Amino acid sequence: MKNQSLGYRLFTIANYLFITMLALATLYPYLNTLAVALNDGGDTMLGGVTFYPRMPTLENFTTILSSESMLRALFVSVLQTVLGTLLGLIVQFTAAYALTKRRLVGRTGILLYLTIPMFITGGLIPTYLLYSNLQLLNTLWVYVLPGAFSFFNVIIIRTYMYTLPESLEESAKIDGAGEWKILWRIVLPLCRPILATIALWTAVANWNDWTTTLYFITKSNLQTLQYKLMLMIKESEMIARLMQEAIERGETVPNYTARVTSESIRAAQVIITTIPIILVYPFLQKHFIKGVLIGSVKE
Amino acid sequence: MKVENRMNRGVGSRRQPLPDKRMAGGSRPPSWRWKQMKKDRAVYVLLLPALLSVFVFSYMPMPGLIVAFKNYDVFAGFWGSDWAGLTHIKGIFQMPAMSAAIRNTLLISVLNLLIVFPAPILLALLLNELRQQLFKRISQTLLYLPHFLSWISVVGIAYAFYSLYGPLNELLVTLFGEGTERVLFLSDQSLFIPNLLLLTLWKEAGWSTIIFLAAISSVDLAMYEAAHMDGASKFKQALHITLPSILPVIMIMLIFQLGTLFKSNFELVYGLQNPYVDMEVISTLIFKQGIQQGSYSLTTALGFVEGLVALTLTIAANFISKKLTNNGIW
Repeated sequence: MKNQSLGYRLFTIANYLFITMLALATLYPYLNTLAVALNDGGDTMLGGVTFYPRMPTLENFTTILSSESMLRALFVSVLQTVLGTLLGLIVQFTAAYALTKRRLVGRTGILLYLTIPMFITGGLIPTYLLYSNLQLLNTLWVYVLPGAFSFFNVIIIRTYMYTLPESLEESAKIDGAGEWKILWRIVLPLCRPILATIALWTAVANWNDWTTTLYFITKSNLQTLQYKLMLMIKESEMIARLMQEAIERGETVPNYTARVTSESIRAAQVIITTIPIILVYPFLQKHFIKGVLIGSVKE
Repeated sequence: MKVENRMNRGVGSRRQPLPDKRMAGGSRPPSWRWKQMKKDRAVYVLLLPALLSVFVFSYMPMPGLIVAFKNYDVFAGFWGSDWAGLTHIKGIFQMPAMSAAIRNTLLISVLNLLIVFPAPILLALLLNELRQQLFKRISQTLLYLPHFLSWISVVGIAYAFYSLYGPLNELLVTLFGEGTERVLFLSDQSLFIPNLLLLTLWKEAGWSTIIFLAAISSVDLAMYEAAHMDGASKFKQALHITLPSILPVIMIMLIFQLGTLFKSNFELVYGLQNPYVDMEVISTLIFKQGIQQGSYSLTTALGFVEGLVALTLTIAANFISKKLTNNGIW
């Protein structure tokens, strides 16, 4: 490595610096939000909160978590995540296994049937009208059922299954095991790593989903945490703007405290909606990434 | 690495010359097919949930597209409503709000293509040059993280970061002195698209490197050695070896990207919208005029045209890519 040119060595230094800055720039906004969430609302208003809480308090969190509608939203979010992930795994795993069977009559047709919706869709309004006809609007089902199947995930699971030694299945068959037995006793245990990846993805997607609520739910007791966050963002931005206009006009700000609280509470809400992912992510990072590489074969 | 070996084997086993077609029918008599299907009943049962959910949630909305050609009346239903011909399709191009939304969508998409799309490729090349493994791992972990946050949390983080007394305004005040006017970055019309691009980069640029890094790691090392012998600099190696080697992956990602030229990120645009900026894209307009205000026919027509254009673009991009580089998604 001694014969590296000066230019390359300079590049290497610049590169390390650049990546460091990029990584910090990625982390800093989140740390700042965390600091604001853990800081006293009135103190935040004075400005200058960086990456640590200057006047630490849990008040912002207790305000949110003592609200009954927030706890309700947390419950709905958890329910969507758990049910959506379980159902998704069952539907996708069984479909992937069935599609590994090369001898299956009609397999090409079935694959085509599953591929077409990737390119042609009805779109939002026809979907909305359909759900309306099926009485799915304002039900828990709309959170769980439409997302159960994902062609992309099925292909990833199937690609993984192809890597399993076929001899295992053959010998089980000779021993008289039926499809069900092979599926549950042999294939499922071997597929655990890829199913973990798919489960994580599906769980994150369900947890992060808020457009389903926006499109298909009008009942407030079926709102999710992410949707509540959206409502808060919309409201607090309006308040902030009104405040600024009032200040510009030289007026004293009447509901000064309302704004303070709204900003801190919003930050706390961001933390509450992201913390499950942030806590889990560093430990499961490799599972998160694995599927992308398997999937890239097909894509 | 282990993963990649696996995936290679996966491809290998698929490409084995299997008597696929002969086994699944064709030359065999129909009675054989029937027997085989009966033997595989259990397999069809396993497929059933997937087939059913695709039918209900992907195929059943499709006939609803006829709403675009009718004057949809909630009480008369899909079939009972009167035909409207192409009135609504024409209507899209006559309404100023609609054509503005189409223009905005296209503008954002083109900027995405020019700025957001190449970023992870460059970043992957830079990450690939890092030799210190621990440093590389930690920075990758941090760069991938925002991908797993919801778009609305990203907007929430942006509001904290951009707030009147948040870090960015503080920085400006520190740099330019006490008298500096604090800016509400997210309520400024001219900053809407830059913010949109910046947040997209912040959330996705890191994560999108994965696929390019995997492609880079499978480039034959002997090529670099040969180039090194010939005195090619690292920069030239990146330009003449790495980039051409990962071109297939780039092309495929590009095709997917082109297919979404008429789509924009609803979650981010809607999240960033507020009463002080006027920026509608196709998807936000469909939601607001369709679901919120109930003009189903017009918005279905807009969605239909959008879908048609997306499909055409994907097919065209695939065709061109196949002609030029021999890579395609089908």
